[in-house]
Amino acid sequence: MSAQKTAKEDKHRELKLSMEVFFSNKSAVAGLVIFLFYFFDAIILQFFPQVMPFKHPYSLTPNYVNPIPLPPSKKFPFGTTYPGVNLLTAIIKSIRLDFWLSLAVVVPGAFLGVIIGIVATYFGGLVDEVLMRITDIVFSIPYLVLAIAIGYVLGRTLDSMMIALILVWWPLYARYARSVTLEVKEITFIEAARAAGSSKMKIMFRHILPNSLPPVFVQMSLDLGTIMLTISALAFIGFLPAANLPELGYLTSLGYNYVETAPWAMIIPGMFIVLFALAVNLMGDGFRDVIDPRRRSAL
Amino acid sequence: MMENRKHDSSPIVKIENLHLHYYTRRGIYKALNGVNLEIRRGEVLGVAGESGCGKSTLGRAIMGIIPRNAAIVEGKILVDGVDYLKPLREYFKKAKKFKPTKNQDLLKKVNEEMSKIRGQKISMVFQEPMTTLNPLLTVGYQISEVLFYHNPGLLASRRLARARATKEDTKNIVKILKEEGEGERLRQYLKNRNIMGLEDQIISIWRRKELHDLKKEQMILELCCEPISSMARGYLEQIEKTNSLPKFSKLPIVGRIVKRELLKEAFKKSAEFLGLLGIPDPDKVVYMYPHELSGGQRQRIVITTAMINNPNLVILDEPTSALDVTIQAQILELVKELKEKINSTYMFISHDLSVLSEVSDRIAIMYAGQVVEVGPKSAIFNSPKHPYTQMLMEAIPTIEAHELKGIKGEVPDMRNPPKGCMFYPRCPYAMPICKEKRPPLFKVGEDHYVACYLYGGEKK
Amino acid sequence: MLLFIPTLIGLTVIVFTLLHIGGTTKLLAMYLSPRLTGAARAHVIAELDAKFHLNQPVYVQYFYWLIQILEGNWGITNTPLYSGPVTQAIAIFFPNTLILTIFAAIIIWLVSIPLGVHTAVNRDKPSDNAIRVASLTFYAMPWYLIGVVLIIIFAVYFRILPIAGTVNPSLVVGLSWYHNGISYPTHILLIDALLHGDFKVAWNAFLHLIMPSVTLSLGVMAALIRLMRGTMLETMDQDFVNFARAKGVPEKVVINLHAKNNALLPVVTNFGYLVAGLLGGVVVIEDVFSYPGIGMWLTSAMLNNDMGGIMGGTLLFGLILVTTSLFLDILYAKIDPRIRY
Ligand SMILES: Nc1ncnc2c1ncn2[C@@H]1O[C@H](COP(=O)(O)OP(=O)(O)O)[C@@H](O)[C@H]1O
Ligand code: SF4
Ligand SMILES: [Mg+2]
Repeated sequence: MSAQKTAKEDKHRELKLSMEVFFSNKSAVAGLVIFLFYFFDAIILQFFPQVMPFKHPYSLTPNYVNPIPLPPSKKFPFGTTYPGVNLLTAIIKSIRLDFWLSLAVVVPGAFLGVIIGIVATYFGGLVDEVLMRITDIVFSIPYLVLAIAIGYVLGRTLDSMMIALILVWWPLYARYARSVTLEVKEITFIEAARAAGSSKMKIMFRHILPNSLPPVFVQMSLDLGTIMLTISALAFIGFLPAANLPELGYLTSLGYNYVETAPWAMIIPGMFIVLFALAVNLMGDGFRDVIDPRRRSAL
Repeated sequence: MMENRKHDSSPIVKIENLHLHYYTRRGIYKALNGVNLEIRRGEVLGVAGESGCGKSTLGRAIMGIIPRNAAIVEGKILVDGVDYLKPLREYFKKAKKFKPTKNQDLLKKVNEEMSKIRGQKISMVFQEPMTTLNPLLTVGYQISEVLFYHNPGLLASRRLARARATKEDTKNIVKILKEEGEGERLRQYLKNRNIMGLEDQIISIWRRKELHDLKKEQMILELCCEPISSMARGYLEQIEKTNSLPKFSKLPIVGRIVKRELLKEAFKKSAEFLGLLGIPDPDKVVYMYPHELSGGQRQRIVITTAMINNPNLVILDEPTSALDVTIQAQILELVKELKEKINSTYMFISHDLSVLSEVSDRIAIMYAGQVVEVGPKSAIFNSPKHPYTQMLMEAIPTIEAHELKGIKGEVPDMRNPPKGCMFYPRCPYAMPICKEKRPPLFKVGEDHYVACYLYGGEKK
Repeated sequence: MLLFIPTLIGLTVIVFTLLHIGGTTKLLAMYLSPRLTGAARAHVIAELDAKFHLNQPVYVQYFYWLIQILEGNWGITNTPLYSGPVTQAIAIFFPNTLILTIFAAIIIWLVSIPLGVHTAVNRDKPSDNAIRVASLTFYAMPWYLIGVVLIIIFAVYFRILPIAGTVNPSLVVGLSWYHNGISYPTHILLIDALLHGDFKVAWNAFLHLIMPSVTLSLGVMAALIRLMRGTMLETMDQDFVNFARAKGVPEKVVINLHAKNNALLPVVTNFGYLVAGLLGGVVVIEDVFSYPGIGMWLTSAMLNNDMGGIMGGTLLFGLILVTTSLFLDILYAKIDPRIRY
């Protein structure tokens, strides 16, 4: 009984320490705050679009009367981009799409990867070997190129871009999850063997999976940024033929032709991509500090 | 060197009231809390204590190899009378808030200062032989480094001697060896012929036990007439005279040749030394990488590296703890042998009292960052005074399991150590005063000191 | 190294699978000139049917396709940049990409390793913080945005570097070794100009290379500096580094010989990922700077629905990456004595 109680206290103390470690890292906190801005933007536009004063929350509103980009002003705080799109509202709309798109790639990609990674460590031997060779093979094509090829074959739409990115991304998690589970496995099996009784399967999912999740979670947070960068790069080179899509990469490509006369049309939406990638990176580094006992104690 | 060591009675290391704290995000670990200890010339000082009591920290602090988050809060370490850690202590005194970055800057200076004596006057062997050697470099190179940076003159003179010696010389040398052995006449001859660099080469061959005399003679006869380029010769002669390295960056091509000559010579000397220690196939071993050697072999290499320059002080931080019992015994033999051969001072750290009983002259017992008892080995083993030492002695039951385990209670949390005696929470004889004040060291016998109020201090 | 062949086979399987997702028409599109019509077209289709054994099971088709690939018959590409055999397109575009990536790789290596070491050694100092902030910012920037910022600064504002292409067209008019945007004999303008002793053109070609290669290097550099800093910090805590100090080895040697070389090992292992990033960056950056290489060809193929260009480009990028990995494995074995094949 008392052992249980101290275990609980220990957990409580660990949690408190984790919080302390994370919040003592100012840049990680800044990253979290910025991330939350994007998060709430995405939530509000997705689920309560009526709150915002947008007639078309899910598409851009062009103004062909005055298509040339205008510099930032009272009316258009971020200026406009071709064709007469108000950048402020366009960016607010775009964040929604980019955010969910990144999440829609990272979560299934990570899920798939983790399952495969764990299966590989669980069965080991030939299964492990074959699965890891498959990841090798997927890695043998630069991911951006492979995403272009897959997306192209599936038809250049938003959905196929998503599928292409998931297909490109899972091997990363499979590898990562494998290395993490291998590490956890060694420790856990010894302890579990002492506790005795439980089956290998049970150990795998009861003990090893939960212990492997935190590092994978950190990797996911870092990857949200990488995915958004990749999406925007694909959009920039013209992967998405459909116009009017509120997407940050697409917005920047709209401004590209006016780079010399209206640099803001590219820089400002671009900055929102950078800000997001920066935020999740800082945040992820902060999380990593929390879960890594060595970093945790170093000063 | 050896002569004045005997006469000089001042301790080689004197530690006065040393406080060292590790600053971490989890709090400040007070690793050393007022250590008082001296290491005397020529002795083997054993240091014992439970894991985590600060033994390694103490050893590393003497070497000046401490991490950036280690603050020297108070006290000093005098190595041959020099207080190398002074800048760190002064920084801590001055600073309002301890910053590892600043500490690191000063550590860099300390490193620079101390690199002149490390490997030369003091050296250290770490606990874990598997991680102590650089996996990317041959063991020969790793031994050679010490010679190259600290003793280039010796290397140059060895190489030059082989160039200067003639066939006639080596024949004469063999004759002298056969008649009188490695005595004064040999030295005299070498001195007269200006080939002193041959001395240790000859002796290392002559003393080898596993070789037949004829083979030895033949090897000695080969120590001559080795040609050398005149350019390199000039630089080597300069190095021989000054025993310091020239600025190699200023001599691009010659520098490389000279450097290679010196390193080659260092490999030779390393192999000789390994052979003297009875390591088989030394000429092959020097070209091996650490991963090709077993843990015991690696620890031998590490010990060789630490000893090859005849340092005044060697700190051995649990050199046997990570090894199998049989290998432990071999390493211990090696250390004893070295103790005979090389007249150094040793600080032997171990959590295993039975190991210390084999090698030490004096023993210091540490508890929670303090030396709680120190005295001659016999006194510590026959009449332990401190309650902690007494418990330790009772906890060495059999020959087999002789680690410091079976002691009741827990080590105090070093972030919040007790205000008074560190042992208070576990001590069966605790008194009210123990809770209030840290006991200083009281003299209880000839050269025997104990930090415990049972043995003094009542008057206060 | 043993994995080289299976990986190559896997690579071709991926490309072949992609070709077959949309049925055989996609494959045909790759080998069929779009200009053909009517009977001639039907005839060629029948020919291709026989050549690729399109009536046989898919796995049989794969082998016939593989034979064609091995024989150098990679199909036809039809983009505004180039129309003709894929292999010919590769011969034209690949040299440009090669020089671009080599330039970028040199910049990356020369800058990021020393900076990674510097930041680790001077941990938490102002210079470390500045380099960390800068590299994190570049790390978080899409490639094309880095390119655009450089364009705005150096081409639009200062006007000291050219924006696009490989050379100022007016300089190469009427040169005997330059036709239709292609230089001879190496197809790398900078080298060809030097070979022909035309230093004006060479200098101009060099200027055109600066911005794309710097852009390309900045993104990867950021990742490499971070990686190097991390592994270096880890290595500097290791026992053998402290032991080198305990031997009295000068601090400079401790850092540069003992710590750095060991810290480089994980960097070399991870360099494959960085090269993959680099090759992905090529696609975007060539597009931004209208630089006629494989990446721009691939983009153009995508925009113009050109199967030949997409698959040819993908296969080529895969081949480059696999070969680089092989090379890196060999390099790794060279520097780490623990690995012997
Ligand atoms: N680099 C470090 N940072 C923080 N704490 C440390 C560090 N090194 C050692 N310590 C702490 O200092 C105490 C003494 O450690 P150490 O000297 O290694 O003990 P021993 O060698 O006797 O086992 C331990 O509590 C340990 O946790
Ligand atoms: S000073 Fe007091 S508490 Fe400490 S060991 Fe002696 S008797 Fe025990
Ligand atoms: Mg220790």
